[in-house]
Amino acid sequence: MTEKLLTRFKVPLPGLLPPLLPPQRNGSQRELVEALRESEERHRLLLDGIQNYAIFMMDAQGRILSWNAGAERIKGYTSDQIIGRSFSCFFLPEDIKRGRPLEVLRKAAVSGRCEEQGMRVRKDGSRFLANVVFTALRDSAGNLRGFSEFSHDLSESNESGAKYRGLLEAAPDAMVVVNALGEIVLLNVQAEKQFGYSRNELVGQPVKNIIPEGFAERLIADGSPTAAEAFAQLIETGIELSGRRKDGSEFPIEIMLSPLKSAEGTLVTAAIRDITARKKSEERLVKTVAELKRSNDELEQFAYVSSHDLQEPLRMVASFTQLLAKRYKGRLDPDADEFIAFAVDGCNRMQGLIHDLLTYSRAGATGKALCRVFGEDALQGALENLRITIEQSGAVVTHDPLPAISTDQTQLTQVFQNLVGNAIKYRSAELPRIHVSSTKNGDNEWIFSVRDNGLGIAPQYFEKIFVLFQRLHGRNEFEGTGIGLAICKKVLERLGGRIWVESQPQGGSTFYFALPERVEKL
Amino acid sequence: MKTIGMDAAPVEVLLVEDSPGDVRLTREAFKDANVHVNLHVASDGAEAMDFLNREGKHSDVPRPDLILLDLNLPKKDGREVLEEIKQSPVLKSIPVVILTTSASDEDILQSYRLHANCYITKSMGLDGFLEVVKSIDTFWLSVVKLPHQPRS
Repeated sequence: MTEKLLTRFKVPLPGLLPPLLPPQRNGSQRELVEALRESEERHRLLLDGIQNYAIFMMDAQGRILSWNAGAERIKGYTSDQIIGRSFSCFFLPEDIKRGRPLEVLRKAAVSGRCEEQGMRVRKDGSRFLANVVFTALRDSAGNLRGFSEFSHDLSESNESGAKYRGLLEAAPDAMVVVNALGEIVLLNVQAEKQFGYSRNELVGQPVKNIIPEGFAERLIADGSPTAAEAFAQLIETGIELSGRRKDGSEFPIEIMLSPLKSAEGTLVTAAIRDITARKKSEERLVKTVAELKRSNDELEQFAYVSSHDLQEPLRMVASFTQLLAKRYKGRLDPDADEFIAFAVDGCNRMQGLIHDLLTYSRAGATGKALCRVFGEDALQGALENLRITIEQSGAVVTHDPLPAISTDQTQLTQVFQNLVGNAIKYRSAELPRIHVSSTKNGDNEWIFSVRDNGLGIAPQYFEKIFVLFQRLHGRNEFEGTGIGLAICKKVLERLGGRIWVESQPQGGSTFYFALPERVEKL
Repeated sequence: MKTIGMDAAPVEVLLVEDSPGDVRLTREAFKDANVHVNLHVASDGAEAMDFLNREGKHSDVPRPDLILLDLNLPKKDGREVLEEIKQSPVLKSIPVVILTTSASDEDILQSYRLHANCYITKSMGLDGFLEVVKSIDTFWLSVVKLPHQPRS
C-alpha cells in the first residue's frame, strides 16, 4: 500500500520540498526519511482529496512529474500511464499542430501564470471544456524549475451547472451548447440520438459538423461587434435549417437559441427539433390544398362552361316559344295558349337559374386586383341597378357614412345589390325601410350591416339561407333561384370576409358582412 | 354619301351566324321591325370572307352596307374575320356590328381593339333580341350616315 502510494510522487515536488538527502544510514537519518515520507504522504492525501481538480507538476519542458486523483478522474490516465509523458497529449490534435502547448508554457514562464479555457482530450479521446491555470515554479534563485497545472472540467464545474445539465437532459428536444467559436461544449442524450453520434464524438467539435449551414456563421458573424450581439439577433426565433447525422444523411430541423452567460463567456444553447414529420405533413397539406384547388377550379370551370353552353339552346327554346306566344296567342285555342304560357314561364325560370349560376361560378374566380373602394360608391352602384325595384316597391334606403376599403368594387356592389334586393323582395306589409351602416371591429375588419323591416327569418334557417339553391318560400310566393345569398357568401369568402344574419320572424332581418381592412402596400 | 333607309335602294346586310335558329330569329326580328333589308347569311367565317371578296359561288353578290358578326364561328373565327375586314383597304369602311352571346370583358375589349364598330350582346329573351335588332336598324340603318361605295 505504502509502495503504491509512493509511486504517485516518484519525483519530489520541485521547489516545494527540500532537496533529496544524501544516502546516510544512521538512525536519525532514518527518522528524517520517515518524517519526509510522512510529509509527502500528507501532501499526497491533501492533493488526492481534491477530486474535482486535476493538479499536477511538470518539468520546464512540460513532462509530467506528479498526478493527483482528480487528474486521474478527469483526464482518465493513471499516474503510471502519464508520468514522464508530455502534457501536450491533453490538447486537441489541431491545437498541438498550432504549437499551443508550448505557447501556454511560454506565457506562464513570462508572466508567472497563464489561465485559459479550452477544449481538452481525455485518454479515451473524448473531449471536454476545461478551465486551466498554469503556474511557473521557480527556485529561490529565480530559475525555472517547472510548472503546475490546476484544471477542472467546466461542464461539471458547479451546482448550477449540474442543474443546467439536468435540465438539458430532461428537455424533449436535442440540446447543444455552443461557444462563441462555434464549438460544441455540451449536449444532451437526445442530441446524441438525433445526430447519431456519441457525446464524445461531438464535444469540442465544430457545430458545423451537425448543422452544416446557417448556424455557426451567425455565431461567428463577421461585422457583428460582439458575439453577444450576434446572438441577440437570433434569440427566441425559430430558424429552419438542415441537420446532418453521422451517416451523412440530412434532415430538417428547427432551432431555438438562447444565450447563456457563464464563466466561460457567452455560450448559446440551441434547442434542436427534428421537424421531418412536420415538414412532411406540411408538404402533404400543400399538396392537398393544390389538389383541392385544382378540383375546385375544374368544378368552377365546369359550372361556367355548362351554364354558358346551356344558355345557347335554351335561348333558342325561349326565343321561339316567346315568338310563338307573340305571333299566335289567341289564334290557336285556349289549351295551346296555356301550354305555351307554361313553356315560356319554364324557360324564363331556367334562364334566371342559369344566369345566377353563371354569376355564382364567376364569383369564385380570381377577380381583378383589389383596389381602394368607397363603400358608398359600391352601395350607390347597387341602388342604381335596383332602381326600378326600389321605385316600384317605394322602398326607402338610407345609410350611414361607409368606409373606403381595399376590395373588389364589382363584387362589393353585387353583395349590396343582393342584400338590398332581398330586403325589398321579402318585405312585410309595411313600406320597406332599409338601413345600411358599418362599424369597425378591432383593427382588422369592417362590419357592414343591411337592416330591414321585412318578413324576418326563423333562427333555424340562419345557415341554410346561404346554401346554394336553398329557398324558404315557394315559387308562387316569391320568385327567385336560391342563389343570391350563396353568391354573397362566395364573394365575401373570396375577399377574406364572412356573412351572417340576425333576425326574428316578423321582426325584420339584419344581414352582416365583415371584410378585412387591408393595409395597402403602395 | 347616301342615307340608308331614306332612299329606295335596298339595304344589304351580311349576317355571319352559324346557328340557323339565330338566323331565323334575326330575320323575324327585321320583319318585326318593319325593315326591308336584303339579309345575306354566311354560316362560318370562311364563307363570310368569300362573300366579302366575292369569291367562288359569291362572285355576284352585292357589297354589304352593314355586317352583323358573331364571334364564335366554325372554320374561321369571328375575331379573325373582323381582323381581315379591318385590315383590308376595300372592306374596312363597312361597319361591323359584333352580335354575340359573350359578355366577357375580354371579348369586348379585343373586338374594339380589332376596330369593331360596335359590340352587342344577344339578349336572352325574345323581346330583348327584337329590341336589339330594332336598335341596329334605327341606329345603323337610319341615324348614321354610311360611306357610299359604288357597287361594281
